[in-house]
Amino acid sequence: MPVPWEALIPFGLVTIMFGVSGTLLNVSTRAQNLGKPVRHNIDNWDEMMMRRDEQLTGHKRGQRDDPTPRAGFETSSVWYTEKTT
Amino acid sequence: MSSYQPGSVQTRPYIDPTPLPDNIPKVQELGLSSGPLKSAAFFIGAYCKDFNEDFMLCKAENRDPGHCLKEGRRVTRCATDLINKMRENCLSQFQEHWNCLERNNQEYYLCRKPERSLNACMFEKLGLTKVIPGTPEGQKPIHEVESPIFKAIQK
Repeated sequence: MPVPWEALIPFGLVTIMFGVSGTLLNVSTRAQNLGKPVRHNIDNWDEMMMRRDEQLTGHKRGQRDDPTPRAGFETSSVWYTEKTT
Repeated sequence: MSSYQPGSVQTRPYIDPTPLPDNIPKVQELGLSSGPLKSAAFFIGAYCKDFNEDFMLCKAENRDPGHCLKEGRRVTRCATDLINKMRENCLSQFQEHWNCLERNNQEYYLCRKPERSLNACMFEKLGLTKVIPGTPEGQKPIHEVESPIFKAIQK
């Protein structure tokens, strides 16, 4: 009796769809994080450090090794402001 | 309310480029980002212990930003000094370790192998060891445990 291969098509489709969406999600998140895995369990300290990394390198996940920062680093912090008038 | 209402939070970041006044001595800030800093953290603690403690005790008196500038300058200078020495002596192990941390959510327990080689290099070249303060007496510090419970999946 011939194998009912048409019945396996939905399995294949579902597997492919899971695979494609997972891959796309992974690629998208890695691209947003400069090729590194996304950071999880971020607390206030980590958020502060990532803000500092952005001031130093221009990207939240950018890292640098050099003890000498770029020229305007000391005065580059952003003040949280609100218009009250 | 069908017209445009400007919000109160500003859309543009407010950055004040005014430098410090001239009567305050200038110290180059440490330009290390979070990954390398986390990698070097325990060595900064070992090398700059006195300056760090001075600064923290001073800040404990008064949290005003302008209060402990002198101790803060000393901390910055000491940390910069140590980072320069680290880069001179153990650059490849240092980079290996902080790159590993960056790939692993900056968790120490996932990067023990590069950490061991960095600790060995730092001890050999600069005589600094990583000490976890507050380890209970008689218990091995977690970074020296041979087969820990929480570890990376791959060896």
